[in-house]
Amino acid sequence: MKPKNWMKLEFPSESPNVMFARTAVAVFASQLDFTLDELEDIKVAVSEAVSNCVIHGYQGSVGNIVLEVAYDEQFISITVEDFGKGIPDIDQAKEAGYSSIPEERMGLGLVFMHEYMDEVLIDSRVGEGTKVLMKKKAPAPVS
Amino acid sequence: MENLVWTVGVNIVKPEQIIGRSLIVTLQGELDLHTAPPLKERLDRLLDEEPGLRHLILDVGEVSFIDSSGLGVILGRYKTIEQRSGKLVFVGCRPQVKRVLEFSGFRKIAVFAKSPQEALEMVERT
Repeated sequence: MKPKNWMKLEFPSESPNVMFARTAVAVFASQLDFTLDELEDIKVAVSEAVSNCVIHGYQGSVGNIVLEVAYDEQFISITVEDFGKGIPDIDQAKEAGYSSIPEERMGLGLVFMHEYMDEVLIDSRVGEGTKVLMKKKAPAPVS
Repeated sequence: MENLVWTVGVNIVKPEQIIGRSLIVTLQGELDLHTAPPLKERLDRLLDEEPGLRHLILDVGEVSFIDSSGLGVILGRYKTIEQRSGKLVFVGCRPQVKRVLEFSGFRKIAVFAKSPQEALEMVERT
C-alpha cells in the first residue's frame, strides 16, 4: 500500500541524536490519532532501536544511522538501520537480560521494542549492519 | 543538610539533599543513552563519598522520559544501596516512566511514593 506520508532522516551515531530521533518520530507520528501513551511507547521503541545502533552497531566508533517512517491506513512503519557490526545470533539477542556488551541497559532494548510495537522484524548481516522494522497499528488519521 | 548541584543532560540544575541516611536526588528531563553516564558518575561519586548513605530516593516528577539506558543506571546504583541494606524509592512518577519501571520489574525492588516526605517516612520504617 502506498504510504500517505513518509520521512527519512540520516544522522551520525552520536548519543545526543537518540533523543532527536525519538522526538522526531513522535512528532511525525502525532499526525495520526495516537494517544499520548502510544506516542510515548513509540518513543521508547525508537530510543531503544537507535541506542542499539550506537552501542552495538558501531561500538564506540561513529557511523550513520538511517531512520525512515511511513504510514498508511493500517500501520505506521519505522525502520532504523545501521551499517555496522551486525548481529551474529538474533534469537539470542532477543532474550531478555542478554547483552553482548557489559553495559547497563539490562538487556531490555529488544524486549521493549517488542512490547511497545505490534511487529518487529530484524534483518542483520555480520559485518554489514542491522535493519530493524517496527510497525504499530495506526488509528484513524486526523483529517 | 548538604546541598549539591548537578545537571542531567542539558536540563536545569536541581539541588540534592542528604537527610539522615537518605540521599534525595531530584532529576529532570529525559534519561537515556546520552544523559545516563553523567548521572551514573554523579551518583557513584556521592555514594562513594558518603558511605553512611543507605537509601536512595529519586524524585522523578520532572523526568519526562526513561528508556533502558536510564533504567540500567538506576539498577546499577540500586546494587550499591542493596549492599547497604537500603531502599530505593521513586517519587512522583509520570505515566510513561511508571509504565517502563513496572514493565521492567522495578516494583520488586523499589517502592513508590507521592512525595519526598512520604519517601523519607517509608525508609524510616525499615
